[in-house]
Amino acid sequence: MKRVPQTPRPPLRAAGILILLALMVAVVAAIRFLALDFSGVMEPVSLQQMREYFVQFLQPDLTASHLQAIGNAALETLGMSAIGTLLAAVFGVCLSLPAAGYFGRVAQHCARGLLNILRAIPELVWAALMVLAAGLGPNAGTLALALHTTGVLGRLFAETLENTPTGPADALRGSGGSRITAFCYGTLPTLWPQWLAYTLYRWENNIRMSSVLGFVGAGGLGQMLYIHLSLFQQAQAASVILTMLLLVFAVDSLSLWLRQRYLAR
Amino acid sequence: MSIALRRVQVTHSAACASPVQALAEINLEIAGGERVAIIGPSGAGKSTLLRLLATAQRPDSGTVELLQQQPWALGGGSLQKLRARIGLIQQAPPLPPRQRVVTAVAAGRAGQWSRCKSLLNLIYPLDVAGIHLVLGRLDLADKIFDRCDQLSGGQLQRAAIARTLYQQPELILADEPVSAMDPVLAEHTLALLNREAQQRSATLVVSLHNLELALRHFPRVIGLRRGRILFDRAAAEIGEGELELLYANEQLLAPQQSPLPQPPANRCC
Repeated sequence: MKRVPQTPRPPLRAAGILILLALMVAVVAAIRFLALDFSGVMEPVSLQQMREYFVQFLQPDLTASHLQAIGNAALETLGMSAIGTLLAAVFGVCLSLPAAGYFGRVAQHCARGLLNILRAIPELVWAALMVLAAGLGPNAGTLALALHTTGVLGRLFAETLENTPTGPADALRGSGGSRITAFCYGTLPTLWPQWLAYTLYRWENNIRMSSVLGFVGAGGLGQMLYIHLSLFQQAQAASVILTMLLLVFAVDSLSLWLRQRYLAR
Repeated sequence: MSIALRRVQVTHSAACASPVQALAEINLEIAGGERVAIIGPSGAGKSTLLRLLATAQRPDSGTVELLQQQPWALGGGSLQKLRARIGLIQQAPPLPPRQRVVTAVAAGRAGQWSRCKSLLNLIYPLDVAGIHLVLGRLDLADKIFDRCDQLSGGQLQRAAIARTLYQQPELILADEPVSAMDPVLAEHTLALLNREAQQRSATLVVSLHNLELALRHFPRVIGLRRGRILFDRAAAEIGEGELELLYANEQLLAPQQSPLPQPPANRCC
């Protein structure tokens, strides 16, 4: 029995090219639709205005009483973002298991829907709602961060779960391990570093975010910044902004150090 | 009877348009305590057969009986108990890269330990002495607290073997367990597996690429080709002709008419 020799052809990647074209069309369409025009920014009048406003920020208020107020607010911001992220990580883990299809299709769709809703509503809206529900202050901010971040982390966690190789867990099921044991011994070792990295990254985001949340009255540095900006106290606002910068740098380097120390490879 | 297969058929249909018959009408009986090698060319169905014996693969038709039980007629709990008595050593050991060897080996007892004990062991290894002993027999004792991704291919294979030995199954299955080891280690490891099986009168079924190792270490050898058993007899009785027939490859031996040998047209993917 002989087969007719025939050179194999590589599979055509038409879909890839189409997607690329569609993306390019979308970018052009978006620029057209938004009527984006950056020329106004470079005009001398607006440049002059921007400079005058910024110069007022160059003398930050560093008096002891103001610094103490900033310190308290910074602690509040840190606490809000940390507790919010921690809560979100816990709920995210709880929701990612059903969202990755561990408990059947019905649960999967419910969990995914819930995560989508949580994620689709921005932190600011959550904060505004929570201020109504829990009153002004860090309570509302923490809850708002926790709710939105649960949506984000739950989705990321579920995706990591789905992409983790199932071989190790299958092998353990094959040698008689229960589902929980197989998960803990086979899946978790690959999973938890990624989960931790995502959580640290979201914490970093949330510190930035929690300062914005203050604008709707959810406590922390943001609320302080909002008050000083509204009262045109640029000097006080400047020191708040400096503190925010320091905070973000500190958390950034902390999470970088943690990732390199414990999650490298 | 430790293993009894009657008219077992397995067809792989995933991804391919035309289903590939991996095992065709296999009849096989292996008594308790027997040590059997499975040989055959690549793609003969050796891995499928071993996965079938490990209850990782469900047959399309026919009956499978393992350790006097029919796994596919059992409920979840009994199947789990049966699986705890069967150990499969896979060709590419499925050990999580970031796990420490001591934990990876301890996972062998996951089916025997209670859930609490298993979870506790994750936090603090409970049986370091026992695991150290098993690793020592595979010349891997110094790696006990290393991470799995720090091991070489051969060391990883030995860690997987250590896990299965630690499991102490009544039926030991191994799919190419020494493919990444040097000849001396391969020799030593196969001897160890055989000794271990004999001491605990466990049944041992190993698939091998290396003919010499198969013929030297195993009393009974099964030749598998294209999903069928070509021969099944004592190692001493196997003739040169049978081996040639087993490994004959028409595609490679056929006169080369075109410069590029073609895969059959219906093998898609």
